[in-house]
Amino acid sequence: MRIALAGFVLRRVRHNLWQQFWTHVLTCGTVAMTLFVFGAFMLVEINLTHLLRDWGQQIQLTAYLAKNLEPAALQALLKRVQTLPEVEHVRHISQEQAWRDFQSALGAQSGLLEGLPRDVLPASLEISLKPARSDGTVVEQLAQRLKQEKAITIVDYPQEWVERLELIVLAVEWAKWIFGGVLFLATFFIVGSTVKLAMLARQAEVEIMQLVGASEELIQAPFVLEGMIQGVVGGTIALTLLWVGYLSLKNETMSLAGFLAPLGQIQFLDLQNIVLLLVIGWLLGAMASVVSLRRFLKTWNSSRGER
Amino acid sequence: MIQLFHVSKTYLPNYRALTDINLEVKRGEFVFLGGPSGAGKSTLLKLLFRQEEPSEGQILIDGKNVTRLPNRQVAQLRRKIGLIFQEFKLLPDLTVLDNVALAAEVIGISKKVSRAKAYQLLRELGLQERYDSKPLSLSGGEQQRVAIARALVNEPMLVLADEPTGNLDAEVAEETMRLLFKIRDKGATIVVATHDLNLINRYGTRVILLQRGALADDLMLASWQENGK
Repeated sequence: MRIALAGFVLRRVRHNLWQQFWTHVLTCGTVAMTLFVFGAFMLVEINLTHLLRDWGQQIQLTAYLAKNLEPAALQALLKRVQTLPEVEHVRHISQEQAWRDFQSALGAQSGLLEGLPRDVLPASLEISLKPARSDGTVVEQLAQRLKQEKAITIVDYPQEWVERLELIVLAVEWAKWIFGGVLFLATFFIVGSTVKLAMLARQAEVEIMQLVGASEELIQAPFVLEGMIQGVVGGTIALTLLWVGYLSLKNETMSLAGFLAPLGQIQFLDLQNIVLLLVIGWLLGAMASVVSLRRFLKTWNSSRGER
Repeated sequence: MIQLFHVSKTYLPNYRALTDINLEVKRGEFVFLGGPSGAGKSTLLKLLFRQEEPSEGQILIDGKNVTRLPNRQVAQLRRKIGLIFQEFKLLPDLTVLDNVALAAEVIGISKKVSRAKAYQLLRELGLQERYDSKPLSLSGGEQQRVAIARALVNEPMLVLADEPTGNLDAEVAEETMRLLFKIRDKGATIVVATHDLNLINRYGTRVILLQRGALADDLMLASWQENGK
């Protein structure tokens, strides 16, 4: 019986999709546009996060050491820092090494250093972080912990940049949900209106089905299924457009190689996000259909005396 | 089969369509529901197949109180009732066969079996040649026979017909009535609402007369038996 009813619903859906082809095409287009915008925000967010992670991997903290540190105390400090969970690698820069580095950095102007004692620059530790541990909070916490070491006088790190980038990612994420939310709402009403139009066009069919004893679920099922199909087809169109956009952007950035090197590695949505986009389309279609149908049938039935 | 106890129906704001109706129709009976237009015949039928609810009173169909059935059970009730309307209510974009089979398909009978049952009925009603036609290409009488076939496809225990001959000429109306009596002979209970007193007088059977929403008379005409039909 269930199989027979499922077959009936599928036949009605096929018939209805064909009968109101252009209405369905327009609705799919609307869903596709909404999901395209949402997906574009997702792409930007993913790639910015990726960029942030890449930069994060390059973030180094510099801990300047107190003068006249005993070698044993230095070794103990190195060992302690190296075993911290956030730390990937620690490099000791002696005062001598610091002097040489500074001298070579100055190049032709290195003569300026003449007359200065060679131990004027402090020794330091250059600390690289593990990739997953390079967000602003972790860097800040690590810096505070290092400052508690007696042997460390100053801790230097690019806090401002990390925080700025994090803010940009956060802003993109918020924009995604705000723009997405408004567009979802608009699409919700457009899909709902399509269902209402379909109901009006098939009023006679619905009435006859009610009169011959079709259950409300059976009457509603084809409309809901049509909404789901519109959502998934819209999602697929959006993904195709995003893929085309991604490919052309990738080709463009690759030709600009050096200047936009980080963008040359832009990523597309991963499987999880692709499924998410399709599920959103599917849910959007289904929910808009159900809500619109219930409202329509309630008004219609009460106008005909039915409950 | 049908029992009504003090049934009234008032439409808002203050139009009383039916007033204190009490009646009983036995299983296998053929009953005319007569009266002029506006007497409340269609309203009474709508209460029986639960398109509307009575404002007061109780209605029992086959022993079950249908007065305040939840929606889910209204569909179940209608599967036991065959409905025939003056305006046929056929779907123009479906073929004759699909129109009839639809009523069986929506209650979960497979497409194949539904179509076989529908074709069998169309053959019994002399419409086998037109099974693939669209309803609008058929005459009024043929369309009404298709509607009757649809009403019968689920072998209902009760058939409610609202002015079934209203759009038909005398000869086709006669043929339609004969068909309804045939269905009664197979065991179904038939209630035919009509304002056509000539039609009622032609067949000797029970007549329930409504006048301004009230039961005016409930009598048994003898002409059917007298004519030896």
